[in-house]
Amino acid sequence: MSDASLDSVDIPAVAKRRSRFRAVFSKDRKAQFGVVVLGLFVLAALLAPLIAPYDPNEMTLDMMGAPSGSHLLGTDDLGRDLFSRIVWGTQISLFVGVATVTLSLVFGVLLGVLAGYYGGWIDMIIMRYIDLQWAFPNFIIAVYLVAVFGTGLLNVIVAIALAFLDDFARIARSMVLTLKQEQFVDAARVQGFSDARIMLRHILPNAMAPIIVQATVSVSYAILGEASLSFLGLGVSADTPTWGLILSDGRSFISRAWWLGIFPGLAIMLVVLSINFIGDALRDALDVRESDL
Amino acid sequence: MKNDDLMKRAQQELRDAYDFDPRDPMFGLSRDDMRGNKISRRATLRLLAAGGALTMAQVLPGLRPKPAMAAAHGGGILNAAWAGVAEITTLDPAQIGQVLQFQITSNVLSGLMHINNDLVAEGDLAESWDVSEDGLVYTIKMRDGLTFHNGDVCNADDVIFTYNRSSDPDQSRHSSVIANVANVEKLNDLEVRFTLKAPQASFLTKALERASGRAMTIVSRGALEEMGLAQYGLTPVGTGPFRITEHELGGRVVLEKFENYFDPERPKLDGVIIQPVDGTEPLAAAIEAGDVDYIGGNPLPGELVDRFKSNSDLTVDIKPGPGFQSIWMNPWVEPMQVADFNKPLDELKQENGFKVRLALAKALDRDLFVQQALFGNGIPAYGSINAAMGFYYDNGLAETSEQAFDPEGAQALLAEAGFPGGEGFPTLRLQTTPNTRRAGLVVANIYKQVLGISVEVDPKEFSVGIEEFNKMDFDLRLGGSGGDYDPDDGLIDWMMTSSKFNGPFRDTAEMPFGFFSEAEVDALSVEQSVTADPEARRALVQQANKLTSDKVCCGFLYHPVDILVHSNRVNVPTESRIPGLHDFDRMTLS
Amino acid sequence: MATYLLRRLIGAVLVMLAVSTLVFFMIRLVPGDPIAAMLADAGDAATREAMIRRLGLDQPLIIQFFKWFAGILHGDFGASIYGSNQPVSDILLTALPKTLSLAFLSFIIAIVIAVPAGIISATRKNTAADTSVSLFAFLGLSMPDFWLAILLIIIFAANLQWLPAIGYQPLSAGFWEWLSHLILPAIAIGTGFSAIIARMIRSSMLEVLQADYMRTAASKGLTQRVILIRHALPNALIPVITVIGIAFALLISGAVVVENVFSIKGLGRVLIQGIQNRDYPVVQGAVLLVSAFFVLSNLVVDLLYAVIDPRIRYS
Repeated sequence: MSDASLDSVDIPAVAKRRSRFRAVFSKDRKAQFGVVVLGLFVLAALLAPLIAPYDPNEMTLDMMGAPSGSHLLGTDDLGRDLFSRIVWGTQISLFVGVATVTLSLVFGVLLGVLAGYYGGWIDMIIMRYIDLQWAFPNFIIAVYLVAVFGTGLLNVIVAIALAFLDDFARIARSMVLTLKQEQFVDAARVQGFSDARIMLRHILPNAMAPIIVQATVSVSYAILGEASLSFLGLGVSADTPTWGLILSDGRSFISRAWWLGIFPGLAIMLVVLSINFIGDALRDALDVRESDL
Repeated sequence: MKNDDLMKRAQQELRDAYDFDPRDPMFGLSRDDMRGNKISRRATLRLLAAGGALTMAQVLPGLRPKPAMAAAHGGGILNAAWAGVAEITTLDPAQIGQVLQFQITSNVLSGLMHINNDLVAEGDLAESWDVSEDGLVYTIKMRDGLTFHNGDVCNADDVIFTYNRSSDPDQSRHSSVIANVANVEKLNDLEVRFTLKAPQASFLTKALERASGRAMTIVSRGALEEMGLAQYGLTPVGTGPFRITEHELGGRVVLEKFENYFDPERPKLDGVIIQPVDGTEPLAAAIEAGDVDYIGGNPLPGELVDRFKSNSDLTVDIKPGPGFQSIWMNPWVEPMQVADFNKPLDELKQENGFKVRLALAKALDRDLFVQQALFGNGIPAYGSINAAMGFYYDNGLAETSEQAFDPEGAQALLAEAGFPGGEGFPTLRLQTTPNTRRAGLVVANIYKQVLGISVEVDPKEFSVGIEEFNKMDFDLRLGGSGGDYDPDDGLIDWMMTSSKFNGPFRDTAEMPFGFFSEAEVDALSVEQSVTADPEARRALVQQANKLTSDKVCCGFLYHPVDILVHSNRVNVPTESRIPGLHDFDRMTLS
Repeated sequence: MATYLLRRLIGAVLVMLAVSTLVFFMIRLVPGDPIAAMLADAGDAATREAMIRRLGLDQPLIIQFFKWFAGILHGDFGASIYGSNQPVSDILLTALPKTLSLAFLSFIIAIVIAVPAGIISATRKNTAADTSVSLFAFLGLSMPDFWLAILLIIIFAANLQWLPAIGYQPLSAGFWEWLSHLILPAIAIGTGFSAIIARMIRSSMLEVLQADYMRTAASKGLTQRVILIRHALPNALIPVITVIGIAFALLISGAVVVENVFSIKGLGRVLIQGIQNRDYPVVQGAVLLVSAFFVLSNLVVDLLYAVIDPRIRYS
């Protein structure tokens, strides 16, 4: 069997997957809602300079002004326009979500595939590390790492990514363990393909479904994680408007300015909700069972 | 009495307080002045002046006529919130390091002496005392029949025990307060004798004072043995007007009237419940809903003041507070570098580094800052000498200082230094604590608006920030001092080359001095501290203060205000308004 | 089974050993000076040195480590630096009831919402009831717990003034005192978990309802109600146990942010404050306790599996 024919084995599956996608997303109203809302937020992030009416850090003496024509969502305790801050905050939230998950997906899957494929002492070392990390709740790990590295965008991303690493490694490993037994892997091995090629070309594509679903869910957790860190003052920076920070700052003033407690949280919830809707639809489309995660 | 008369009398008292020969270890006080069961107001003032703790603010309250008291009867439980703190970590006098802690212990533990609001140093556990002619030997007679809250008798043995405990740096952090004591003897059950290494007139008011001294705050041997250190730190047993019946870490402190207190008239209240409250909103909710009637602890967040003032159920009493906050500029960091401040001002003004410093100081729009960052509750600062020091405070500095707010002047200086319109100016990091982050943001915004430069606010936990400040590892830092009542606190502690905050852990090979070093300021600071005549001292203080301001030791920002808030149910008699303390023993509820 | 149990226990102990070593050295990597934090501005050199000596911070790291470790074996977790002499074990024991109370109540709230919601949506699949449960679950999953906490404070504490906004009262202060301080934070934490558990119950219930023995039961003429409660529910709950086990451990440690909003000094807050003050012994002790809970609850969940599901046998 040639390499081409090996790959072609997967083609019907991919085609099937695509049609299932279409079927699921055309029926699932929640997923449609998710796509539209998330799309709006992505647009807001990309076009923040055009959409935001004010500089998000520009202070005025119009402190804690109620929502009005000139300030759609009111102003905060330093007279900054809340709407502009939330719009700019979209950039950070989405970026942290995607960057974090990309990072932990790449490294987590790498560890998981190596462990599952080679077994033996490699598996043992990687699994012991993962067990160790498993002994700490994710958020505690992130808090701790930010304390070690200091605050800042990169540090927050690395901290959350490290905290999620074990989830991806576990899933990838268990998928590889199952797939390793499959005939097409044996066939590839018989053909004398390199381990790297087998892992990348043959195993990984077939293991992707649960990983994609996990990644989607993780984006929402990462966004919540960043918001929580910012809320505790362990976030991106002191003057970058992020949703968690806006909420944390506003908390002292909510009885005088309710809008400071409502709108930033609403933004977080809408984005996370959209991602969860999409993730759920993906799960159906990819036929991933909850127990695979 | 009219205000003018009050001021005149106060100034006369101040003059008198400082009228002694600084070389005289007894400060011109005779043996008779020092003995008895009360030190006269005149003597106490002089002792405070000599000990570096006298302020105009302290002199005035006692002169004010006492307001008629609202009808009140004894009893009742007062609910108090302790602001800005999640837990009271320790109440063991040997370990106390925070004002909000000794505000509590002053109600629970006693010293041999305590100062009242009239600035008369009274015997607390001491009934009377005598001083030898050479000022070296203090013989103290204690009250008879004193008992600790646990029923143990309190006598001379407890004084000796406390001394031994507090003089051991392994057991107490206040050993330096009593380092001048050569030995302590028990003469009989009620009499002890302190022998000093050198005469120290402030011994009674500083070392033996119950609240601020903390070294000779009498602890109970029996309770310490029975409870162990840790439990004693939570529920210390003393001889004070209230005893602690409940306190666990992070929880409330419950004080109950001590029936066997030596003064049967006090306390008036049946008890006080102190709840630590972290966070602004919960604090406001608690006093507005009537859950608490009194706020002590850390300074109140400024945004609450207007809200409380407009509430007719609450009383808000605001006074100038001690201390100052500044923007510290590291002179070893470009572009604010100044290697030598010992040049005439005109010469300094030729240096680019100095131009930048002056520009950064001149650009500080203090009025805007106070309004935006402190909601109006602060006093613009141009030096470390604050309004709570009354007599020494220089009202005119806002106009005369080189640092006076002047946006055009600041812009011109920055342009001359090579950064026209802020162009090419590096992004400096402004270090704050998490609590002062908001203030830092306001400063950064002012710099952006006035100078067109960007400053990045960098909040760091106090433990990290203070380490970097001590090592001179920072660009800009927002910080300062909170407890300055005497010019010494502002000058000696901060402005001298040898000041304890002036880069103590820096790399001295690379940095010969810390944030500031100026020979004339050093000389003036020393001279004022030994100058007896108040008018002369004031001139020296103001001269030093203006020099630090003109030569931009730092960009001075604001002085805090002292805000007391309680509900109208609480009667706080004038005697209870002792600066920095919340003594509940005379307060009542109506 | 016995050997399996032994192996798992040894594994758990090894993980804890590694955790304690890691934590000990990692907290010392964090920049910052615990003595400076504690003394604030007041420290003179002599006091500072005496304190460093008293705390043993002048000794080589490796000696400090072994001393600490030997202490743990005797149940002595050391003393807090910032909290002046407070034994770490006391601090943890004071925090634990708060966290456990909060976790317990959150757990009850989560179960009370999740079980009926899960059953209803599984048995009435694709009805309006199912849709609303699913929507609720999604909202619960997506709402940041600290935001929910703030909303609850705005509504029930600030405006209606029904419940206190902050603090904790022990059970000894009275049941209502205890409960009233915990209701809002427990709702804030419990809602998210109820969403997870409800979804879990729904999907596993749907699976069970398809199973052969369910059809057998139906053919025997048992009523719908009996079938559901006697047969379907116990089986559907098996996979849920995993999630609940993990959730309970998460509730204990993960309530960090909510504890912060409500000023409740539970384990999470102890840990965060310890990190902020560079209070090494406190951080070490708290992390050890949190991870012990985590490791143990994993173990218990696995064992419960064996007890409940006769098909699983460990060897």
